[in-house]
Amino acid sequence: MFDALNVSATGLTAERLRMDVTAENLANAQTTRGADGQPYRRKEVVLSEVQSGGFGAQLAKAVGAGSGSGSQPGGVEVAGITQDQTPGKLVYDPGHPDADAKGYVRMPNVDTVAEMVDLISASRAYEANVTAMNAAKQMFSKTLDLLR
Amino acid sequence: MLFDTTQNALEAAISGAATRQQALAANLANANTPGYQRVDVDFHSSLAAALGSEDAKDSLHSVRFAAQVDASGATRADGSSVDVDSESAKLAANALEHQAAVQVAHARIGILKAAMGTGA
Repeated sequence: MFDALNVSATGLTAERLRMDVTAENLANAQTTRGADGQPYRRKEVVLSEVQSGGFGAQLAKAVGAGSGSGSQPGGVEVAGITQDQTPGKLVYDPGHPDADAKGYVRMPNVDTVAEMVDLISASRAYEANVTAMNAAKQMFSKTLDLLR
Repeated sequence: MLFDTTQNALEAAISGAATRQQALAANLANANTPGYQRVDVDFHSSLAAALGSEDAKDSLHSVRFAAQVDASGATRADGSSVDVDSESAKLAANALEHQAAVQVAHARIGILKAAMGTGA
């Protein structure tokens, strides 16, 4: 019965992680020494759809209740976090400690404007999931009002 | 019997709206999933078919709602067919529809209670 809430919760988790990763990209927009000593590479969250396989769905399948086709919407999950392998731009800055022999520094491939757009997109999607969650909550409480 | 066809239809409508809510929530959760195809539950058609059948009351008991992939909408550049605005509108409409069914069911139960002398 509370599947709709769980579905929205998966959306909240996924969008929050997107926001975390975008924030990390922004924080490292000028980092020339990443974990491997190379310039930081921007990270990207890969989302994928999940089919509901929770306890409720298994129980419904076992007793033959619920939808006939069996596949119920299960929400979204994070398939992984990938690194963007495009090379960052070269900036002429001879005074920089990481500059090469010709005075060029390889900067991270983070585009702050694109990251801001991602941030807004994640934030709006998060809000949409909160709205869906609230609607589900209200519906369930209305149904419970039948008992009064 | 205590509960007539209308009451059963209202119950089925409430259950249908709850199932549809789940599908619409899944669409919103996958708003940023590339290649995701939106799903929807057409519980109106299932209800209409059950109500129009010979034995409406029994058909309403056995009516089941399932989420179907909806390929009718426009596809975005990333292959997803979710439009957050239209999903939100459908979500709001579905919640109202659910509320309407619940309120009518509630009123009818109240009438039964009054007839039983247990107070509405």
